[in-house]
Amino acid sequence: MKIIKPAIFALLGIIAIIFLVVGSMQENFPAPPGFTVVEYWEKWNNPEAAQMGVIVDDFNKTVGREKKIFVHFLSVSDIDQKTLISISAGVPPDIAGTWDTQIAQYAALGAVQQLDDLAAAHGITEDYYLPVFWRGCSYNGHLYALVSTPGTVALLYNKQIYQQCGDALRAAGLDPDRAPRTLEEFDRYTEILNTRDADGLIQRAGYVPLQSWYIPQLSFWFGGRIFDPATGRLSLDSPETLHAYQWVQSYAKRLGPRALMDFKNGLGNFDSPENPFLSGKIAMDQQGPWMANYIAHLKPEFSEVKVPIDRQWELKDRRTNVVWGVAPFPSAVPGLTNVSYNSFDALMIPSGARHPKEAFEFMAFVNRQDEAEKLDALHCKNCQLRHVSKSFIENHPNPYISVFQDLAASPNAQCTPVCPIWPEVYQTLLDTAQAVSLEPIDPAVALRAAQTRMQGECDRFERLLEERRRLGLD
Amino acid sequence: MAFISPWIIGFAVFTAIPIGLSFYYSFCDYSLTRPSRGPLWIGLDNYNQMIHDPVFWKSLGNTLYYAAMALPAGMLVSLGLALMLNANIRGQTIYRTIIFLPSLVPTIASAMIWLWMFNPTEGMFNFLLAKVHIPAPDWLGERLAMPSLAMMSVWSVGNTVVIYLAGLQDVPRELLEAAEIDGAGPIRRLFAVTLPVLTPVIFFNLIMAIIGTFSILTIPYIMTLGGPNKSTYFYTMFNYDEAFKYLHMGYAATLAWVQLALTLALTGIAFLSARKWVHYG
Amino acid sequence: MKAIATPRRPRHPLAGLSIHLGLLCVSAGYLLPFLWMVSTSLKTGSQTQESPPRWIPHPWQPVNYVNIFRHPTFHAVLYTRNTLIIAILTVAGTTLSSAIVAYGFARIDFPGRGPLFAIMLATIMIPFPVTMVSVFRVFRWMDLHTAMWLGPDNFLQMLGTFKPLWLPAWFASAFNVFLLRQFFMTLPKELSEAARIDGCSEFAIFWRVVLPLAKPALAVVALFSFMGVWNDFLGPLVYIQRPEQYTLALGLAAFQTRIGGTPWELLMAASTLVCLPTLILFFLTQRTFIEGIATTGGK
Repeated sequence: MKIIKPAIFALLGIIAIIFLVVGSMQENFPAPPGFTVVEYWEKWNNPEAAQMGVIVDDFNKTVGREKKIFVHFLSVSDIDQKTLISISAGVPPDIAGTWDTQIAQYAALGAVQQLDDLAAAHGITEDYYLPVFWRGCSYNGHLYALVSTPGTVALLYNKQIYQQCGDALRAAGLDPDRAPRTLEEFDRYTEILNTRDADGLIQRAGYVPLQSWYIPQLSFWFGGRIFDPATGRLSLDSPETLHAYQWVQSYAKRLGPRALMDFKNGLGNFDSPENPFLSGKIAMDQQGPWMANYIAHLKPEFSEVKVPIDRQWELKDRRTNVVWGVAPFPSAVPGLTNVSYNSFDALMIPSGARHPKEAFEFMAFVNRQDEAEKLDALHCKNCQLRHVSKSFIENHPNPYISVFQDLAASPNAQCTPVCPIWPEVYQTLLDTAQAVSLEPIDPAVALRAAQTRMQGECDRFERLLEERRRLGLD
Repeated sequence: MAFISPWIIGFAVFTAIPIGLSFYYSFCDYSLTRPSRGPLWIGLDNYNQMIHDPVFWKSLGNTLYYAAMALPAGMLVSLGLALMLNANIRGQTIYRTIIFLPSLVPTIASAMIWLWMFNPTEGMFNFLLAKVHIPAPDWLGERLAMPSLAMMSVWSVGNTVVIYLAGLQDVPRELLEAAEIDGAGPIRRLFAVTLPVLTPVIFFNLIMAIIGTFSILTIPYIMTLGGPNKSTYFYTMFNYDEAFKYLHMGYAATLAWVQLALTLALTGIAFLSARKWVHYG
Repeated sequence: MKAIATPRRPRHPLAGLSIHLGLLCVSAGYLLPFLWMVSTSLKTGSQTQESPPRWIPHPWQPVNYVNIFRHPTFHAVLYTRNTLIIAILTVAGTTLSSAIVAYGFARIDFPGRGPLFAIMLATIMIPFPVTMVSVFRVFRWMDLHTAMWLGPDNFLQMLGTFKPLWLPAWFASAFNVFLLRQFFMTLPKELSEAARIDGCSEFAIFWRVVLPLAKPALAVVALFSFMGVWNDFLGPLVYIQRPEQYTLALGLAAFQTRIGGTPWELLMAASTLVCLPTLILFFLTQRTFIEGIATTGGK
């Protein structure tokens, strides 16, 4: 033991030195000398990060080489907090790839730069984008972000399960060959599609309000708007939002809160073969176009009814090759059709960024017609631009892409509310949704409390902003 | 005097000035996004908002609830373990390392492991309980989440045990032998000699435990994100969210000061009570 | 030097046996999560999702440990290097400065010694959130001014470098000063008296007489601070944003993906490797550790 101890210490010391030396060599990355380096932090992991990497390479080889710009692309976790802290520290990246939910907040707090002039210089104007995305990128009449990839949400349903329950559906006067068109119809579909086992536990659910990502925005499908930028007023206790939350609560009541909780806990991870939709545990869901990629990766059988996925273009109608279907998520208001929630991944230039002009070169490149379509196709998402080429639709991995594209173009397409305290409002709405599903609280009471608190926050925010402007502390 | 100058400078720059600034910020609206966007004086507005903030009360209640469970459990378990580990039995070194091991596991790995163990359908605990036909509770459900986290905290008493072990080395052999000669059994020896001598160490560990309990942040942040339904939303998480998610740094400073006041109050009570039960020398 | 009391073997074999039994049960409980970590680290991706889960994966995949070093976003060697740099600088700084300050409090009688010591102890109780944002602000103020005089990206730059993590350690940490001061007070005064008569300056006494005697206590300080830095998550979370500067603790957190497709087996393998150094160090230095703290006494 006497000899072993110092020997181990020596060994540890040597290992430490090796790590130090090798690690220091790894620190540098190749950038051509004399080029301006644009630091681009993005939230994505692989595979999305690798796909964006393709676009970065395209840029570096063409426009970048011309204009002596090199984009250094980094995958960063917790990007919203890291970006904020780095802005506070005065060492921000040149481009931050965060979410649309932060645009209004960052813009209002002066954390990101206005892009109006840069965009105009590159010919990116309001009629280049679809209106819903331009609205999402703007705050107080100025442009603060560009879209990297959009994500429109629609109804995803399992055609096979519909056919399995064909007789029951027809008996109820519903059509198993198409998706429900109104929310009331939707509820009737789910009722029939629910199955339970001998113990009363839920085996398969027609639908459960699962994706916490979408729940705060549910009132869109009830005709509500959540936030009105013109008046600065939130409408969390509006009749429409109330209906939305009563609807969420009705699912908990109908399925039984305990049974629902157990069912939810037993569901697998999204990114695994035990994905709830792919394992047949839920028949319908709210999803975006990227689902086609996940299905191809995790459960290809779902998309290979007739031929393997890479031969799907041989068919006349690719939609017959897939077990799943996409339709606009039905609304609760008669006559209100083609409602969608359109979130997106945003690119912003932080305040204090060293190279804003060069950064925007890259952002404009990502939004060039050909590159935008390329990236959106790689990510299996729809396109944010007003015009898309025929080949984008025809060669897109998702056979239902035109449904998404039309939804985004519809006049009832909604984006994330451009409220400067949106992260707090979002969290409050989520908490309320969780509360009403777990306990028999009256949603009206909960929402009114939420509204009072959040509106108070919002007003306070505006008031302080006013005072700052007055004192020049902006 | 020159000797302690490093500490004085450091204290001034890294402690005194920041605390002063923090106090100032608690009366301001501050977002720290741009150098030019300085703090705006708003007086007692933050404090007023705090009193009316239901999330403040909820997170404070949560933290106190956790402390009420974790503190006694931690103190008892660590003392008991230290006493057992002090016995001169074979494998002492190995046992000690095993007890200390959890403090060395990286936080994120711990969080993930425990998340899995608590999983209602596939976790280790319910798997074992099912074997003995006890109904499987929902460990991280709204009612049990906090007690489960308190149970987890017992797992990382390694540091405290080490300090107790050190303290136990100081128990004078002569006293123990004298007590034994007087006919005192091991339990009597424990209460009459060991524990009284150990009281300063117990006191030290109590203070450290109070401070530690109120600083818990990373594990629940990864495991439960404060849910379900804010039942595990700790005070520090609330502070962190307000500062770095909602960018209310002034409000966060207010919250931090209240936390400081609370910690000082509790340690003050501990100090006052110390006169009654801590023996020095 | 105090007499260390090591208890004799318990008289009754029954007492020894029951302690053994108790410790075995407790150890099993304490070891369980760690064993699960190692077990998961040897599984394949799909095995980690199995239900009910198995303890010994069959077939196993030890190549996970190699794959960590090849992972595209977890740069194992780089993160280790970063953590090592911060650790070495912190440990050196803490040990040296705490020793100097502790000596001042222990051996030198100056006005206000008592109150200053009490204030120092009080600073231990200050929770991180109180100073978190303000220290950040102080650093930024310093950066703005050094940038004015020396231009951007100068060597005095704080934020965006590792300095905020190790620089404060060079100004003495209250906890370590407390430990070392207790230790110094137990040293006999005759030694320093003798040196002083020989004409040594106070600092020389400190450096040549007192410090060599303090090796066990210094070892404790060094070890504790090393372990603290190695596993520190909150500090790097606030002060490090660029991925190439991540420490191991931050890097591990980056394995988590939001959608949920976390490569468990890689995360656990990396975690096992990460806790290995501190584990080995603790195992080897246990006795020094406990005795080192013991001689400083909790008084």
